[in-house]
Amino acid sequence: MLKDFLKGLWRENPVFVQVLGMCPTLAVTTKAVFGASMGMATTFVVVSSSIVISLIRRFIPEQVRIPMFTVIIATFVTAADYFLKANFYQISKALGPYVPLIVVNCLILGRAEAFASKNGVFRSFLDALGMGLGFTCALVVLGAIREVLGAGTVFGYRVMWDGFSNWIVMILPAGAFLTLGLLVGVFNMVDKKISVEKK
Amino acid sequence: MIKKILNNNTLRMITALTVVGIFSGAVLVLVHNYTVPKIEANKTKETETAIKEIFPSAAKIAETVYPGVFKITGHGGTPGGYAFIAAGNGYQGEIKMIVGVDAEMTTMLGMQVLESQETPGLGAEIVGSAFRDQFKGLSLAQPITYIKNQKPEKPGQIEAITGATISSKAVVNTLNKRIEQIRKKVKDK
Amino acid sequence: MERLTINISPHVVSPVDTRYMMKGVLKALIPAVAVSLFFFRWYAVGVIFTSVAGCVIAEYVGQKIRGKQVRVNDLSAVVTGLLLAMVLPPAIPLWMAFLGAIFAVLMGKEIFGGLGCNIFNPALLARAFLMAAFPVALTTWTMPVTLDAMTTATPLGLAKFGPYAASYMSLFLGNVGGSLGETSALALLLGLGYLLYCKIIDYRIPLAYIGTVVVLSTIFYFISPDRFMPPQFYLLAGGLLLGAVFMATDPVTSPITPKGRWIFGIGCGLVTMIIRWWGGLPEGVMYSILFMNAFTPLINRMARPRRFGMVRGKV
Repeated sequence: MLKDFLKGLWRENPVFVQVLGMCPTLAVTTKAVFGASMGMATTFVVVSSSIVISLIRRFIPEQVRIPMFTVIIATFVTAADYFLKANFYQISKALGPYVPLIVVNCLILGRAEAFASKNGVFRSFLDALGMGLGFTCALVVLGAIREVLGAGTVFGYRVMWDGFSNWIVMILPAGAFLTLGLLVGVFNMVDKKISVEKK
Repeated sequence: MIKKILNNNTLRMITALTVVGIFSGAVLVLVHNYTVPKIEANKTKETETAIKEIFPSAAKIAETVYPGVFKITGHGGTPGGYAFIAAGNGYQGEIKMIVGVDAEMTTMLGMQVLESQETPGLGAEIVGSAFRDQFKGLSLAQPITYIKNQKPEKPGQIEAITGATISSKAVVNTLNKRIEQIRKKVKDK
Repeated sequence: MERLTINISPHVVSPVDTRYMMKGVLKALIPAVAVSLFFFRWYAVGVIFTSVAGCVIAEYVGQKIRGKQVRVNDLSAVVTGLLLAMVLPPAIPLWMAFLGAIFAVLMGKEIFGGLGCNIFNPALLARAFLMAAFPVALTTWTMPVTLDAMTTATPLGLAKFGPYAASYMSLFLGNVGGSLGETSALALLLGLGYLLYCKIIDYRIPLAYIGTVVVLSTIFYFISPDRFMPPQFYLLAGGLLLGAVFMATDPVTSPITPKGRWIFGIGCGLVTMIIRWWGGLPEGVMYSILFMNAFTPLINRMARPRRFGMVRGKV
């Protein structure tokens, strides 16, 4: 049970291991707070759609399962988009089209297909929560690194000294690819060390 | 009867999809009803905040017959003017601004950027006050012009942002075009 | 490079190794370095020293981390550092030059597996990184000799945004604003002569590159002399000669077959002129070479020479 939850955080981390959902990962992580909001919105969608799909999994005909998953996911994505627009207008404006685009994040359809449609509600919930949090953590780390170097702040708090010149490249698309590549490299290095020590 | 439907594959598919569709539609109607008034309020508030930045003593902001054009009335006898939205293509994507002019349309009172996707550190400086403040009290007797790397010398001239000529030019062109449009509309009335 | 060289046959053992080639490039850079020291004085000293030191340190650390034998001795890091300094503006803050040098070696070379495995020219990659990170510092130029604090635009920049009367003597000698090593055509031509004489580089890439630029600009000047500058301007101004002689000829990141080298050079020239005429930037040499670097593996496959004894058309 616990394993279902934990695997999304490390062993099968959606960003660093499965390399899923690259579009939001690269596009919105110019600031840590954007990464966090995108991560939470995605977590909400993946958790609620997994629960619903797991609940009705016995009534889903095999041939139309993908359209049904898509309708369910799209419903939650639209709800999340409207919610952000109503309550966090500035963040929603900054995230722009990437909130509605959560619907095409392979992570969510992947969980529905690979886990929620085959397992019970509680396990599907844990699995989706783990995946969502793993995704959120990755986006926050990515956003924090880019924000520190690109703007000298983390979550809007100034952390760099006064004379620090912002590395503008970090908040450009190129900075997203650089940071993600290096993070995946570091992740694999640490993971290798852990598995060597275990043996 | 129900057993028959469940056994018929085609009917099962149609039923399942219909049920899911109806449910998701219902959920979305609820979400829509709850959020849309709030979203509208957010948008109005954003425009009004921007207008108040330009007209600190505005008493009444009223949208004219033209959408996106607002007539500003000042407190007591203080002068008002017009505020309107101006949008045009920047270096990357659209630049959307709100512009304030006096009632005679001879002087610009200020400019606020609502939306832009210019390059951070360069073109994005159009949002900064150093650039925007140049438009306060700018003469509109002639079209706005820009100059590079030196202080403005003529009336109606602003200094372009170093390294971001294209963004500065986009702002100036958008303003000129829109001001001309508004002038015609106001005259017609 | 020392252990495995990919090239077309015949394969012969020769005393030419990495160190020998790098030494040759360093010697060929002497005139350009001397000119930059003369025109930009202590700015040039600072940038060159910082950049070379940064590259050597990064190479040492990088090879230690990867657990490889340290080969700082082959001078390739020194060459990368010097080339990077040559493409930086004189008044760049020294810490930026240092950061660029580290990026050049670690991100441009070591991360791909060291010298010989990199896809892009490390010095240009670092400049592109600095350009994206600090656009204002990378486009702030200094007057030569006087080192005036007043910043000036490069000739290409001036010509792009308004009428510009070029002094071709200044452009030839290097008495204009620009990156440290790019201003003097004379010094770069001396370097080109030396490299060709010692057979360290092949004449095809520089010839194809410069030739394309000259032909294109002649045609366009002929069509509309008011809108375009004359060909000698596009030849002498900006980083064309530096790029064509020292950057596009990098043996690791350019094609190895004769036909491939022609294609590579022509491609560089084409992209350079497209950027110079219609792009948002005044200069396109850096991006054109990086762009063509990406095509090098493809060109190598496409322009494979015919095997001996094979009939054309039958593979």
